Amino acid sequence: MLARRYVYVFIGLVILLVFVAFFGVPLLWLLLAPTKTDSQLAHESPFAFGSLTTFANTFHKVINYQGQLMLTWLKNSAIYSFGGTALALLAAIPAGYGLALTQFIGRRALLAITLVVMILPSTALVLPLFLEASEVHLVGSVWSVILPFAFFPFGVYLAYIYFSSTIPKDLLAAARIDGAGEWGVFRYVALPLARPIVGLVAFFAFVADWTNYYLPFVMTYTNTEYPVSIGLQILIGSAPIFSPGTPGSAASEIFRPDLAMATLIAILPIVIIFLFAQRTLVKGMLAGATKG
Amino acid sequence: MATVTYKDASRIYPRANSKAVNQLTLEIRDGEFIVLVGPSGCGKTTSLRMLAGLEPVDEGDIFIDDRSVVRLAPRERDIAMVFQNYALYPHMNVAQNLGFALKIAKLKKSEIKTRVAEAAKILDLEEYLDRKPGQLSGGQRQRVAMGRAIVRQPRVFLMDEPLSNLDAKLRVATRSEIAALQRRLGVTTVYVTHDQVEAMTMGDRVAVMKDGVLQQVDVPSVLYDSPVNAFVAGFIGSPAMNLIEGTIGPDGITIGSTVVPVPRGLQQAAGTGKVTVGLRPESVELTGTTAGIPAVVNLVEELGAEAYVYARLAHTVDDTRFAATPDFIVRVNPKSAPKSGSAIELHVKPDSMLLFDAESGARITGA
Repeated sequence: MLARRYVYVFIGLVILLVFVAFFGVPLLWLLLAPTKTDSQLAHESPFAFGSLTTFANTFHKVINYQGQLMLTWLKNSAIYSFGGTALALLAAIPAGYGLALTQFIGRRALLAITLVVMILPSTALVLPLFLEASEVHLVGSVWSVILPFAFFPFGVYLAYIYFSSTIPKDLLAAARIDGAGEWGVFRYVALPLARPIVGLVAFFAFVADWTNYYLPFVMTYTNTEYPVSIGLQILIGSAPIFSPGTPGSAASEIFRPDLAMATLIAILPIVIIFLFAQRTLVKGMLAGATKG
Repeated sequence: MATVTYKDASRIYPRANSKAVNQLTLEIRDGEFIVLVGPSGCGKTTSLRMLAGLEPVDEGDIFIDDRSVVRLAPRERDIAMVFQNYALYPHMNVAQNLGFALKIAKLKKSEIKTRVAEAAKILDLEEYLDRKPGQLSGGQRQRVAMGRAIVRQPRVFLMDEPLSNLDAKLRVATRSEIAALQRRLGVTTVYVTHDQVEAMTMGDRVAVMKDGVLQQVDVPSVLYDSPVNAFVAGFIGSPAMNLIEGTIGPDGITIGSTVVPVPRGLQQAAGTGKVTVGLRPESVELTGTTAGIPAVVNLVEELGAEAYVYARLAHTVDDTRFAATPDFIVRVNPKSAPKSGSAIELHVKPDSMLLFDAESGARITGA
């Protein structure tokens, strides 16, 4: 009997290791790539460690590319993402609360619509958004990117789930009897108890905004307005190995280790935020788990 | 301090067949402690919530001090409520919980502090003001819930089974504290419970409800001695009143094969035919001059100062029609309690029998 259990555990471990390999190996490659030169990358083992000097050189090369364009891209990403996340929170958290804990005509219909819209691919909305933005002459300003980012139905849904499962109805009734109006109930009772979900929605919104390619691509058109998601694509376009025949001086030639370094730089902020926010995120995700 | 009046108030839940509260009419005097009591689903909590504004009133009206409150939001009614689960704000400490309503009302900070300190003193919460609800025991949380209501100085207190979550001993102690507190503050209080002992010991008047309908409202002694129907008779009093089948005849009531005499007025009013006979455990003794109803002892409950004998009436023992009938309960002196299995005779004390219509349950009173 014990032997059979060990066999199941062993099989489980093997399956898990396969998944670790599937997800982990490319990341490992990515981390190791900037430590090698392009020819080393091509000829040596993928897991070979180059040198820290090469790593530092690659780093400087990418940062200084075309007058520190990378830093501009990072700054733009930050503006778009923080702005978009802030607005998304301002919209999604109260919306989720309203759907979960208040009564109004059409509440259930609104909830159904939110679910349906959640499934809509965001890229399908970009062109209509562009037409709208150009109508109000917003194209080319940061708002053409930040405002659409505020639309986050998944965040609304997360907030709805959280509020409907963690806040006891009697608590709100007590606040209403105590004299609080609907805004007071939200501000003094629901919101203070909503920290986990604010953290979770903020994280999801931030990641979605930071990695969004298509919307800023359509809304902005100069190098200096691009976020880092588009910047990476430009770098790839400048790499002769991926687009042969691209004109460019030798100084601005981009090779594969440089692309790997650029990717690492681009995702670093998200990794840092996640490390800091881990505990809040897990709490937010499990919040509904034990309460009925 | 206010009067509360329910006038034909009804609540019908959507898609329900019957009314949760059916035309409740009740006048509550200023300063009165009235208890709504009844089994689960009788509509007592719904009635309370209608008064609070947490449930809509579908028919009829509710008045506080002669002013209809049916269209007012809870916060405009000047009421305070203690919930069964206390509903304390978990992210605020005790002082903030107590002062929340005052803060919303934009009272001065000094005034809030004074009132909170007063309430904390009355309820013995002074050393817990800095703690959060999660750090308090059940009894302490209950006191904070009460404090939150007191500090508001409202016109009416509403309490929804506030003692249900306490252990038995704490419940008994807190019961008298709440009653004393209400007497001291003099605030009109509407109190809901399913526990008839709580109702009888705490209320100035008790309103018994069943299936959304008010059965009887009166002072506890009248409910006990003169219940208006078999339901009230069986609900009030612990252990419950014995309700058994009997047949009215020219000589009295025949229970099984025993004929028990009945006061003339009552006999005339009852006519002939089947009746339901109500006998409280203390209305029956094991020795007496009148004819005794034979029974067999099932078990004896010893409670120290008294004992209760649970017996099967002899004529029901072999009759499958009575299989589900509960045991007949008799109160006896613990020193002379019979043994399980022994045969006894039940003698009805004179003038202690209550008669109810066998079908409607309404009480039959002598002319």
